[in-house]
Order: sequence, then structure tokens, then C-alpha cells
Amino acid sequence: MASDSSATQLKSDALMEQMKQHLSTDAGKAVTKKIGLVYQINIAPKVPLPLPPSGLLRFWFRISVFDSGAVRVFVWQKIGFDEVVYIVDLKKGEVTKGPYEGGKPDATFSFKDDDFIKVATGKMNPQIAFMRGAMKIKGSLSAAQKFTPDIFPKPSKM
Amino acid sequence: MAMRELATGAANCDPSASSNPLGALANALVGSSSKTQERLKEIPTTTPAAERQFFAQPEDRLRAIPGSESDQSLLPVNAQGSEFIRRFHAVEHGAFEGAWNDIQQANLPPVPHDLRVGINPQLQPTLDGPPQRVLSGLLHSFVDSSRGGLPFRPAQLPLLGLSEGDKRCIRDRSTIMARHFFADKSEDFINAQVNTLLHSLDIDSDVRGKAPLPGRFHELEDYWNESQGMMKPGPHVGDAWASEFNQHRRELGGPDAWVNSFEQQHGANGWASEFDQQYSQLATVDQMRGVHVPNLAAMEQTRMLAHTLAQNEDPKFQNSKFLQFLSKMSRGELIIDDNQVKPAPGDWASEFQQQHPAGPSWADEYLHRGPDQWANEFAAERETNGALDDQWVNEFSKLHVNDWADEFGKQVAEGTLGDNTADDWANAYNEFWNEQKQQSDGSRGVYVFSDMNPYVGHPNPLKEGQDLFRRGLLSEAILALEAEVLKNPDNAEGWRLLGIAHAENDDDQQAIAAMMRAQEADPTNLEVLLSLGVSHTNELEQAAALRYLHGWLRHHPKYGTLASSDMPESLYHADVSRLFSDAALMSPEDADVHIVLGVLYNLSREYDRAIASFQTALKLKPNDYSLWNKLGATQANSVQSADAILAYQKALDLKPNYVRAWANMGISYANQGLYEDSIRYYVRALSMNPKADNAWQYLRISLSSASRHDMLNACDSRNLDVLQKEFPL
Repeated sequence: MASDSSATQLKSDALMEQMKQHLSTDAGKAVTKKIGLVYQINIAPKVPLPLPPSGLLRFWFRISVFDSGAVRVFVWQKIGFDEVVYIVDLKKGEVTKGPYEGGKPDATFSFKDDDFIKVATGKMNPQIAFMRGAMKIKGSLSAAQKFTPDIFPKPSKM
Repeated sequence: MAMRELATGAANCDPSASSNPLGALANALVGSSSKTQERLKEIPTTTPAAERQFFAQPEDRLRAIPGSESDQSLLPVNAQGSEFIRRFHAVEHGAFEGAWNDIQQANLPPVPHDLRVGINPQLQPTLDGPPQRVLSGLLHSFVDSSRGGLPFRPAQLPLLGLSEGDKRCIRDRSTIMARHFFADKSEDFINAQVNTLLHSLDIDSDVRGKAPLPGRFHELEDYWNESQGMMKPGPHVGDAWASEFNQHRRELGGPDAWVNSFEQQHGANGWASEFDQQYSQLATVDQMRGVHVPNLAAMEQTRMLAHTLAQNEDPKFQNSKFLQFLSKMSRGELIIDDNQVKPAPGDWASEFQQQHPAGPSWADEYLHRGPDQWANEFAAERETNGALDDQWVNEFSKLHVNDWADEFGKQVAEGTLGDNTADDWANAYNEFWNEQKQQSDGSRGVYVFSDMNPYVGHPNPLKEGQDLFRRGLLSEAILALEAEVLKNPDNAEGWRLLGIAHAENDDDQQAIAAMMRAQEADPTNLEVLLSLGVSHTNELEQAAALRYLHGWLRHHPKYGTLASSDMPESLYHADVSRLFSDAALMSPEDADVHIVLGVLYNLSREYDRAIASFQTALKLKPNDYSLWNKLGATQANSVQSADAILAYQKALDLKPNYVRAWANMGISYANQGLYEDSIRYYVRALSMNPKADNAWQYLRISLSSASRHDMLNACDSRNLDVLQKEFPL
């Protein structure tokens, strides 16, 4: 539960943790009953931008290395890169980390960390996310259509 | 993929190794080899090899190796051999380059003694013979093969007694070098070349590719130590390096330190002058080299670059002379005429000169926003990573003569940028900027002022703002405080109160922006630091939150001694919460310490502990409404919504216009599936602050969950009158 390194955490981890607990409440059970599907959610963390090819190396050096010796690492997120896999099992009412072992999930979504938060908290509509390429979908379309922000609990603010 | 390999390749050998010095080295190497053609002919195709023979007949072997004829031993063979290998390892001093040059120049200058990377005692006995000749010759022919673009022919070599570290070094470096040599060749060709070379040296070619990317120093440190350990038992090398690393960490550790050193080095106008410099270098390098760059190709390339840079809407970039230069060039307003960059129609250069004294605006921006904020932003968006070896940087600065623009220009001339890897990278880079752009769309750091502000011109807006805040009129107070900070941009108290008002008004982004300005004006204000820590926790920005909370402790008059004065490069949650636990033991009666502990436990999602901390703090400060809200939010996030509602109710009793608590109420009802109720609370929150975007989004979700699709239109058009009538509280 406690994690040592904050740097390697995903924003989505917090939400998934809350989802896990949420599914044990009455409201969560109602969601499980209503949806009854298994979703796989792949979340792409921030990764350093790869080094450019030789032709652009000097350009890269200019923009990322300073005389002080400090290096600025351009961090970006890319769908499909070092993804963290979550299974949101709305049949059993569970959230687990790692690939699904019960067969094939009904639908698989791929997000960047930030975009998942946006979709789950209603900042970005899933259809728009899909059209913008911020959300990639595999699997059954009807299952994907049931993937709406109301299945996730909302984080409260201090 | 290839780029990742290249990156990993660079990381494998040495944390300080960038490919850039190598790039320059490659130029030097290729440029300086004049005898290449004849050497090419001398490449042995087969060299009968037997280990025992090799050591028995070193002289014969010596003669059989191309490139070695001219190498008469300047040093005793033994010493020369270990020297060569040693220098091959001593990459962090740029000695690798030296080693390569030695291959080329065929004489060994006296080598400065590098005590840090000592002679490998295990290697020495196996280097009695002259295997460095063999290696030298082989690498030599590998370099030569790039001349004609011929496939590199494998050579059978005697056993060289290379250690794992040597092999790794050779493997990684030749991979990188090959990309420079064969920049115009296909990926497959390069791989084939390298594989042939490696096969000849009996080195596995496929070990690369899984190591961490550069930029994670602890990993690199491990790696370095590991490779050192492999080459050489005895801890002192690793230790020496580690202690030097630590020293650098101290010098250049956190983002603050980075900014400081940056400022020291460049002054406030650092970047601007750097860009000016680039301009002048751009203008002159071609003269120096006399490279003819086809204008069309240059236009195309600069267009691409300018386009990429223009994606970033940051004013820093938009106003940079460099970008202007690039876009002018890409539009054909500047042409590269033989050896000089010339303005095409108008006299752009003089225009530039005129603008120059005024000082580019992004330097102002930099100053204006202040180092700390920059550091914050910097650390939040991009992970900073500490220092590289100074030596290596010095090494690089020697190579500044050939500015990157030079190489770029040459690449343009040679047409090598058109290959896929360059395109891939350009795309990745492009996407990176897009991402930065998305993120900068209001999310970070830029305070957005209201359009119409009746308090502008008010004689004492700060006092007015404080009054309004006390009376609980948050939105009005915000306007008055905005007028204050417009009048006195350095008023920390104005910014701080503005930030608090925004946080209570459930707008964390504006709260963060205002608090950052407050922190600029008063970097050690504890309330500001705590508030920034809380806001970043709310926004799930864990690293940033941790930094501010640590800063709180560091600047606290009582507990400051607990934290070490230097800023660690990366903070670990466990360390910080331990410090705060110590502080709580020191003075259990200090509510503030318990509050910070509660926030910290929220960060690590240890909600039970967080709740306990807030409850302890509430015993000491029972009338702190924001504390009740913190307790409630923590309970809500750990799925104790019923308790949370009680806590929010307490907060609202103390401060009826506390928008955040109203919105949190709505969230707690929604999370319990009580959507109708949640709608009423969201609407109530919005009636007090119609700018609370989160509440609008949540309202929409609740409306559709409660099947009130008839009200979605009113929600989308933000029609509060209709909503308030429909959902009275």
C-alpha cells in the first residue's frame, strides 16, 4: 500500500486503488451488476524521449544539456510504451494489476497516464478521447461503449 | 526501436557518455584518415590464429596487423597495452576519444595519469603481448570500411583476453560509432557491420537493449558499479566514482540547485544569449567550413525544425530569435548563399541587431517567473537529472567549435536526414511538444486573470480582499486580490491569500499558479509551501507534492535541523514521512506537523494513518474548517463516504461558503450512488463559483447517472438558473 518512490508512481494508481475499494461498497456492487464485463486498461507512464539519430544529436544536445552539466530529460508518454496493465473486472468486482488470467477481457483500453485520469474523472469524454487517439480500444465495441466515467469513483480534494 | 537501442547503448557504457562527443570524434576520425584507401587493401581476411602462437610470436603478429607497420613502439609493449585498454575504459575523461585517435595517429602521446580508474590488475597479465595492436588494427579497418561503404569483412583474430567490461565497451561504442560512420546506410547494413566486427572479437552482439534509458542516475550508478566490479575487484574505483557522483549531487542536486547553477553560469539572459550565440554561429559556421548547403534542402529542414519548435506555444519559444531565424529561413526570407547566411530581401540582420538590446522577452519571462517556479515546473513536467561528469562536459565544450548547426548543415547537404530514423525522432519530438502544449493549456503555472475587475483602481485592494475573504465571499475576494497583485506583483501575501481563496473555491490550477507566485515572492513561507503540497497532492502530482512538503520542513525554524540542508535529487516518501514523524515526536502539540503528516499519508494512500493524523490535528485546532475538509476528503478517498459527509458538514458549519466542501459533499453522495443528492450539492457549489470546472464535469456525470438527461443541456450551457430551480438544496 505504501510506496517508497513517488517518482515512479502513476497518477492512475491512486484512482485504481480507490476503484478497488469502491467496488466493495454498495455503489460499487451496483456498478458491477450493471456492467458485468471485464476491462483491461493499459496505462503508459512517462518515459524519457529517446535519443535522436546522429543528424539531430547536436540539436538534441543543445536543447537538453547545459554547461553546468545538468541534463534535462524530455519526458513523454506514448501509448504502447512500458504500459502498466490493470484489469477492472466488473464481473467479479475486482481491480488487479497485471494481465488478465481469466481468458480474454471484453475490451482493452490503452491510455496515457494523464488521459486516463481525464476520462475517468469526466474531464474528457470517452468518445472524444477515442477520436483524438488518446484512447485506443480493442475488443467488443458494445463492451467498450459501456465504459463511461460513472463507473469510477471520484477523488475528493483536500 | 533503433533509437532506443542507441540510447541504451550510450547508457550501457558510461552514464556520462553522450553520443555527441562521439559524433565529433567520428568527424575528426573520418576527416583525419587520409591513408584509408591503402589501409583498406591491407585488411587481413584471414589471420591464422592460435593463442599460444600469438603470445609466443608477438613480433610476427605485429607485422601481420595492418596499420601497425608505422607504429613503432614508443612505449614498452606492456605498458602500451594496458595504457590502451585503460584509456578505452576511461571514457568519462574523454580518453576514449584519445584511444580512437591513437588508433588513427599511430603514436601514443604521454598519457595523463588517471588515478580514478586505475590499471586493471587482472588485465595486465593477459596483455603481455600486443593485443592492442590487433584491436587497433581491427577497429581501424572497421573505420576504413565506412569510406567506401563496403561490407566489413570479418577477420579471424587471436584471443585478445578482453574482459566483459572491455567487450561491453567495445560493443556499445562501436554500435554508436557505426551509426555515425554509416549514417547514410540502412539499419540492416549498420547492424551487419557491427555484428561482423563484434563476431570477429568474439563479443555477443545481442546483449544490448534491455538496460535502462539514460537519465536515471541511480540505475546508471548501479550499472557503473556493476561493470566496474566486473572488471576489477576492490571497491575503491566504484567508491571514488560514487563519491564524486554524490559531490555532484550536492552541487547540482535538485531543481533549485540546477536553476542556481544555471543562473550563475548564464545570468538571467542565459538562454537568450545562448540563442544569440547560436544565431551567430549559424551564420558563421558555413563560412568556416565552406560547406555548400543546397538552399532548398536547407529550407525544407529548417521548415521542419521551425514547425516542430513552433508547436510549443510557450512565449519563451515563440519569441526566441532562434525560432524566428529558423522560420525566416524556412520561408526563404533567409538564404544560405554559398558560405553565408544572408537576409534575402530586407535587412533582417540589422533588424535583429535593433531588437537585440531590448532583450528577448523570454529572458524577461524567465526572470519574471523566477527561478523557483521554473524549477517547479521543470521538475513537475520533466524529470531533472543531475550532473554529468564535468570533465566530460569540458571535453564537449572543446568541440563547440563545430556547432551542431554545422553538423546539421552538413547532414542536410549529405541528405542523411531523410532516413527513417531521423523522421521517427522528429515525430517523437513533435509529439513531445504537442504534449507539452497540451499540458500548458492552463494546467500549470500561468495565472489567468479575470477580464473585468471592478477592484482595479481600488485604493487598498489587499485590505478589501482580506475583508471579503473573511466574510466568506470567495469570488469577490479573488477579484480584489487580483487587483492587488496586479498593482503589486511582488506581494507574497496577496498571492498567498489569492491561492487560498482559489483552493477553497475548488480551483486547484489557479491555486497552484497563485501559490507559485507567492513562493517566488517569499520562497520560505510555510503556509505557501504546505498549500502547494496539498494542491499537488490533489492533482496527483506526487513528486512535486513531496518536494513542497519537504521544503516546509526544511524552512521551518524548529524542524529545519531535521532535514539535511542540501536538497536530495529525488525524495523518497518513506524518508520524508520519517522526518515528519520525528518532528511530531519533537513537539506533539504542533497541529501543523500532524497536518503535513496527514497530507503525506494521503500521498502514499495510507488513509487510516492520514485520518489519525488529521484527527490529532483537529484536537489541537478544532475550528480549522480546511482541516475538517481534509479529514473528510481523506475519509471519502478511503471509501468512508458517510463519515466524510459528517466532516464536510463540520467544515461548512464553520465556513458556509466553502465551495470545495460543497463539491466534496457532492462527490461523496455520488460515490455512494446517491446521484440526485450529489446533483444538489454540485449545483450549490457552482452557484457560489461558476468557474469550478471539476464540479461541472461531476455534475454532468451525476445527471446522466440519475437519468436526468433533460438537464444535460442546462449543464452543458452552464445555465445555473435552470439548475438551481430544478435542484434546490
